[in-house]
Amino acid sequence: MTLKTIDYKIPEGKMLKIKVKFEGQVIESLHILGDFFLHPESTIEEIENGITGCEVNIELISSEIQKVLDTSNAVLIGASPVDIAKAIVRAFNN
Amino acid sequence: MEEFRFIDLEVHTAFENMAIDEAIMLTMKDGKVGPTLRLYRWSPSAVSIGTFQGMMDEVDTDFCKAQNIDIIRRITGGGAVYHDYDGEITYSIIIPKGHQFAPDDIIESYKIICKGLVTTLDHLGIDSEFKPINDVVTRGVKISGNAQTRRNSCILQHGTILLDLDVNLMFQVLKVPIEKISDKMIADVKQRVTSIREVLGREVSIEELRQALQEGFSEALGINLIPGHLIEEEQALAKQLAKERYSTHEWNFKR
Repeated sequence: MTLKTIDYKIPEGKMLKIKVKFEGQVIESLHILGDFFLHPESTIEEIENGITGCEVNIELISSEIQKVLDTSNAVLIGASPVDIAKAIVRAFNN
Repeated sequence: MEEFRFIDLEVHTAFENMAIDEAIMLTMKDGKVGPTLRLYRWSPSAVSIGTFQGMMDEVDTDFCKAQNIDIIRRITGGGAVYHDYDGEITYSIIIPKGHQFAPDDIIESYKIICKGLVTTLDHLGIDSEFKPINDVVTRGVKISGNAQTRRNSCILQHGTILLDLDVNLMFQVLKVPIEKISDKMIADVKQRVTSIREVLGREVSIEELRQALQEGFSEALGINLIPGHLIEEEQALAKQLAKERYSTHEWNFKR
């Protein structure tokens, strides 16, 4: 298990920095950092918790993030669930 | 014409400035104060990071400490900003939820409030426009960055308008490996960020910008700015927030 950090510039969007630990094919823990906007801001912890334990797969991760956004009535601006998922997968493959 | 409380240009530490913005929101939530526009400067100069950013990732904290530059995490998203005491003015606008300047569409509300900056720049002789998500640009180059949060039944938008820009210092404050600070990178930044003095090619004083902001916001938003001060409750709350949150290692190094 290793900590991986990746910088991911979203095309026409903001900068994402993902710090993530994988256990096999699964996200063991992660922090999503960057200059994006998320309203309400406290949703970030719910997103991080929501995708912890998730398999490294763009569709699975992005749909988990979307689920949290829908449940919390939250709005993500400057990054999309798919962007975050792509960044995580990139970190995994890095 | 709607009346706004106007807290004219003040100078505070980073911790006080961020605490005052939040204290106003909390007091407005209780209905004790109305819509407010603030103008402020930062002394000592400071660097603020977006709420989702990592302090150690974004800021050269050793350099800042050596240069007496404060470091602080905002409650708003967005990027890291260097607030030079002589090089910028920051504004904040705090309004209750449901206010006409804060439609549900967040980008739309940035656009409405940023009209105050576009009009300010127009008064100074600079053509500019709002560029989604949260910038004001002149000739395609950023001259103002803004950030919004919605909580406590209020909307807070704060932002900075650049009077002057020291790219070399900015690179030292923000974490860019020294070997990467090439001439080309500095040139790149100059193509993406500019300042009022650079565009106009003349000395523009803080006072001239202050006045332009007061007039620009009033005109663009159609609001009557009534000079005012923080009420006692806001002052007490701000003092508490500065001490218990904004000046703490726990908050500033949270990520």
